Amino acid sequence: MSATRTIGETLLSVDNISLSFGGVRALTDVSFDVRQGEIRAIIGPNGAGKSSLLNVINGVYHPQTGTVRFRGEVRDRMDPHHAAAQGIARTFQNIALFRGMSVLDNIMTGRNLKMKSTLLEQAIYLGRNRREELEHRAKVEEIIDFLQIEHIRKTPVGRLPYGLQKRVELARALAAEPLLLLLDEPMAGMNVEEKQDMCRFILDVNDELGTTVVLIEHDMGVVMDISDRIVVLDYGRKIADGTPAEVRANQAVIDAYLGVAH
Amino acid sequence: MSFFFEVLIGGLLAGVMYSLVALGFVLIYKASGVFNFAQGAMVFFAALTVVGLMDKGVPFWPAVGLSTAVMVALGVLIERFVLRPLVNQPQISLFMATIGLTFLLEGIAQAMWGANVRGLDIGIEDMPIEWLLDHLRINVSKFDVAAAVICAVLVTVLAVFFSKTRIGRALRAVADDHQAALAVGIPLKQIWAIVWAVAGFVALVAGLLWGARNGVQYALTFVALKALPVLILGGFESIAGAIVGGLIIGGSEKLAEVFLGPYVRGGIEGWFAYVIALLFLLVRPEGLFGEKIIERV
Repeated sequence: MSATRTIGETLLSVDNISLSFGGVRALTDVSFDVRQGEIRAIIGPNGAGKSSLLNVINGVYHPQTGTVRFRGEVRDRMDPHHAAAQGIARTFQNIALFRGMSVLDNIMTGRNLKMKSTLLEQAIYLGRNRREELEHRAKVEEIIDFLQIEHIRKTPVGRLPYGLQKRVELARALAAEPLLLLLDEPMAGMNVEEKQDMCRFILDVNDELGTTVVLIEHDMGVVMDISDRIVVLDYGRKIADGTPAEVRANQAVIDAYLGVAH
Repeated sequence: MSFFFEVLIGGLLAGVMYSLVALGFVLIYKASGVFNFAQGAMVFFAALTVVGLMDKGVPFWPAVGLSTAVMVALGVLIERFVLRPLVNQPQISLFMATIGLTFLLEGIAQAMWGANVRGLDIGIEDMPIEWLLDHLRINVSKFDVAAAVICAVLVTVLAVFFSKTRIGRALRAVADDHQAALAVGIPLKQIWAIVWAVAGFVALVAGLLWGARNGVQYALTFVALKALPVLILGGFESIAGAIVGGLIIGGSEKLAEVFLGPYVRGGIEGWFAYVIALLFLLVRPEGLFGEKIIERV
């Protein structure tokens, strides 16, 4: 990790979150914080509630109890698109790209909050709207360069292999220039080389742009390597919270992952 | 020979009128995945509002302006009261809601403005272009040509809008995946209101042209039925498809009526379009320009 990175104040704090779907308790009393500029990993066995936690942060689910505090302000019953407007971008475990649209168009939708022209200006197109489109297209091309997906720029996303779709989703999230990036299993289904590439992208984004990253990941090697701090969930509860070294030695984590001997 | 061209051109221009109605369907389908059964009723509603206002003494252009405002407001209301409660419901439920909307719009329009047939004069006469008649002996109506030009302008604007602007992209994104669109910051409700308002405006243009040609009457709603073969030919999501489909249907319909009609004692015009649509469904169901279904297994 680069010495020029600075980890700052608390950017996001999640306090006593409980979330149930009918009788199913997805999260019980989960609290942790994320500091500006750090890479925070959320790990745990399948079904532990990791994606649900991300959905709560993003505004897709509304918890029954508990608060989410982003940039110092408590957020109340927010929609995903309000969360996006606040500077939170995310990727999804099962990929939520616009399948019928090309890679370029998908990433351009990531820029939509930054575009300012009105409906009438867009109907006329020439003039302000066209200039704006070209500006944003230039920015998007930078991201495409960075993630090395130039060769599939015009391909409809539905035709791409899974690994490339994940990269396109990352590009779309980056296009919004977010303060907080939520990544849900960004390396699922990738081989060693692709995982190394993805790690490098995430580290670069965190390093050069100072973007705070919260990521859910199952590959322990990756998690231990790139995260600053880790939260461990099991059956909807937090069972550990700390640096990779602390978490690795934690008995409760070992029990949850490796099972308790009978 | 000049008779053949005359029929062909007449057919193509009639086809342009079908395209105009089909365009409204395409807009809504492209942007929200909903097949708007009420598009014909919207055409009728818009035209009736214009003539109703003109009957009350409002001059033509202000009446059109007011009607545009009415159609935009209608779009916003439809989004608020018909679509929003049905977010995330299956497509068929949304389709049925638009069927209900049809009856509602037809009823309200006739309750407000009366059920009489009314003529509409939009200032373009239905007379042959003299130059063509004198030099090439082809009878082409000025009105048809004007309609074609209006349609061409509308289509160009919409095509550019969808492919190159922020809102156009947002419309396509919303049709593809609601959740993803929300996650990227696209305000779903605003977008739907915009798309229905624009479709309402297109319905107004179609209503004016069709109303001027056939008179503004209840039968105007059935114009939408003719748009169906156009959509099947061109693809439900394609603006270019609506134009090409319209031209093919219009042209072939008229040619069939005039040249094949005598062999089967006439009446071809009524069903020929549907037979072509049927053939297309067998051979190329997604239409000429429709999106091919991509399934990566």
